[in-house]
Amino acid sequence: MNKKDLKHILSIMVDNEPGVLARVVGLFSGRGYNIESLSVSEVDSHKFLSRITVVTSGTKIIIDQIKAQLAKLIPVHNLLDITELKSFIGKELILIKLDVKSKKTFDLKKKLERLGAKILEENDLELIVQFTGSPDEVIKIKSILKPHKIIEQTRSGLVSMATGTDYIKK
Amino acid sequence: MKKITGAEIVIQTLIEERVDVIFGYPGGAVLPIYDELFKQKKIRHILVRHEQAAVHAAEGYARSTGKVGVVLVTSGPGATNTVTGLADAMMDSVPLVCISGQVPTHMIGNDAFQEADIVGITRPCTKHNYLVKDVSTLPNVIHSAFFIAKNGRPGPVLVDIPKDIQTFKAIYKGKKHTNIISYYKPNLKPNINQIDQFIELLKKSEKPIFYVGGGVINSGDIASRNLFKLIKSTGFPCTQTLMGLGAYPTSDNQCVGMLGMHGTYEANMSMYNCDLMICVGARFDDRITGKVSGFSPKSKKVHFDIDASSFNKSVNVDLTVQGDLSKILQIINKKIEEKKIIFKKNKIKDWWSQINKWRSKDSLKFKNSDKIIKPQHALKRLDFLTKKYNPYITTEVGQHQMWAAQFLTFNKPKHWMTSGGLGTMGYGLPAAMGVQIAHPNSLVIDVAGEASILMNIQEMSTIKQFRLPVKVFIINNHYMGMVRQWQELLHGNRLSESYMDSLPDFVKLAESFGATGLRTEKPSEIDDLIKEMIKIKGSVICDIIVDPSENCFPMIPSGSTHNQMLLGPDDKVDGEISEDGMVLV
Repeated sequence: MNKKDLKHILSIMVDNEPGVLARVVGLFSGRGYNIESLSVSEVDSHKFLSRITVVTSGTKIIIDQIKAQLAKLIPVHNLLDITELKSFIGKELILIKLDVKSKKTFDLKKKLERLGAKILEENDLELIVQFTGSPDEVIKIKSILKPHKIIEQTRSGLVSMATGTDYIKK
Repeated sequence: MKKITGAEIVIQTLIEERVDVIFGYPGGAVLPIYDELFKQKKIRHILVRHEQAAVHAAEGYARSTGKVGVVLVTSGPGATNTVTGLADAMMDSVPLVCISGQVPTHMIGNDAFQEADIVGITRPCTKHNYLVKDVSTLPNVIHSAFFIAKNGRPGPVLVDIPKDIQTFKAIYKGKKHTNIISYYKPNLKPNINQIDQFIELLKKSEKPIFYVGGGVINSGDIASRNLFKLIKSTGFPCTQTLMGLGAYPTSDNQCVGMLGMHGTYEANMSMYNCDLMICVGARFDDRITGKVSGFSPKSKKVHFDIDASSFNKSVNVDLTVQGDLSKILQIINKKIEEKKIIFKKNKIKDWWSQINKWRSKDSLKFKNSDKIIKPQHALKRLDFLTKKYNPYITTEVGQHQMWAAQFLTFNKPKHWMTSGGLGTMGYGLPAAMGVQIAHPNSLVIDVAGEASILMNIQEMSTIKQFRLPVKVFIINNHYMGMVRQWQELLHGNRLSESYMDSLPDFVKLAESFGATGLRTEKPSEIDDLIKEMIKIKGSVICDIIVDPSENCFPMIPSGSTHNQMLLGPDDKVDGEISEDGMVLV
């Protein structure tokens, strides 16, 4: 990211049809824009609508261009720049598998639970931790777990919505 | 209601969309559709010799009529051959529907014979595309494809139909009963408040210029008429892009010619020095702006366009108005009338006298010769001798294209078909076929180069089959002239691979396709040759042997601004061309 670049969270309501994600992602790669995080899932099975959340960065001109280009895609019904709204929430989910062979985990578990993490799986060998939070909170959890041996981890893209009266229309 | 096959639905929907001609090439995966085509008489099929040519022909048809051009090709290579044409139509906003056959649904993804993921391949070079997996959706898809192609900013739409879908049956109740996608609603109505702001800027300006692009032509003849009215009532100068030629009559005194890399001195200097730039349906393309940081530094810029993504893309503007240009221009004219705004000639008198000083440089001048044909002279004579026939002109890409833009007159929209955005060599001949199909009794001329023409020369066979009286006017300088010009200017005159060796005898080539071949290298014969070309009823290839060393001027070298033009071969670039400039194309 350059100094003038701003991070933007875009929420995009699209037809849930084959190839729609390729259209959105292809637009970013074809025009040289960044995707920092991506999340997509069906939100209305009756109207066949999916909601895509893209975190991108660029100058104001680039962000405006990205939005204008996205709005031109035929399966895109609506687009909301969440970052431009008064307030919003953004959450990610992370799963971390820890190697806990012959180690006491009591204190760690207490600490994690205090921070809102959940222990999904626990046995003599491993501990699977689930945490949902803002990107900063996720980074914090990761740093707490750093001293432990992490076997694997997986992290979702950001999902986000506005608070107050703003919302994305279908 | 009776169920009909997918192939029948294709033909029925096309008939409902009032398609009278399609350009195509059959193959295994579209045989059911070709079979239905055989059984009917409402749609004429033009058999091309290469699928790329089918798309360019459909582009020529669409651009000269304002209708949607239709293409029909088979799967795999048939479909991939259309890619260049689709990309061309995308760049120049040409409304097309391209129907391609596909391997049967159960074989998709199996690397079947003649399978290509054409929906994947054409995603970035179409406005939208479809793979039809359910025959019951076929009517919706085809009618939606036409709707998308022609509404908003026009563009190509591809519909990929697997062979089994063509044979499966479904009910088709007609267009009225189909569900054309309802949420695709391009914003056509302009914001009135913004138009009021524009009118205030109009009143204040002392050095205005209209910068007119192909969007005006796409918006329809009403847009051109409204633009003419507006420019006449203001008395302001007007310059056109390559795509915009004909949107405003180029022979009118208020027209200062084409702008950009090979535009006139007066057009580019006016753009550089204006205080108000009124962009109507153009997109600040890099051929137009030159170095963006030095582009028209002193002006307020207003941009009218149907496509919001054209705003502030490469150049920041002060006021944008989104909507259909014919509506926008109509509202502006109406407001000017209602408010009884009079534009005083006095206010822009100094501006016009400055423009006329630039004009007096006569930047399109060239040293004529009585020994060797100068390409500019050949085109000037072509213009003079064909003007009264109001010809349709297509071109290939290169020096001849720029000379045609500079030296031919375009007083009506939809009479000039050239590959602007993509710069596709081989565009002109098939495009001319499409134009001729749409206007069988008109004079249609493809101004070509000897290199470009060879890229789709096989279409002479189509021209023969359908007895199309297309005239081909080859400016033959034995070089890929524009490549050579850049090599001279930027690469130390090392003419790497730009010489056209082993050219065919174009006269014999014409004759072998049942056309007439005419050839000259003498300036004294050029008029007679053109008159002869016009007189001949069938197709003609004119091989005009011109000065091989002539270059296209004026020119803004890469990385330079509008006020740094080279006016002729003796004009030297100010210092070295910068590294930034060297990497530009």
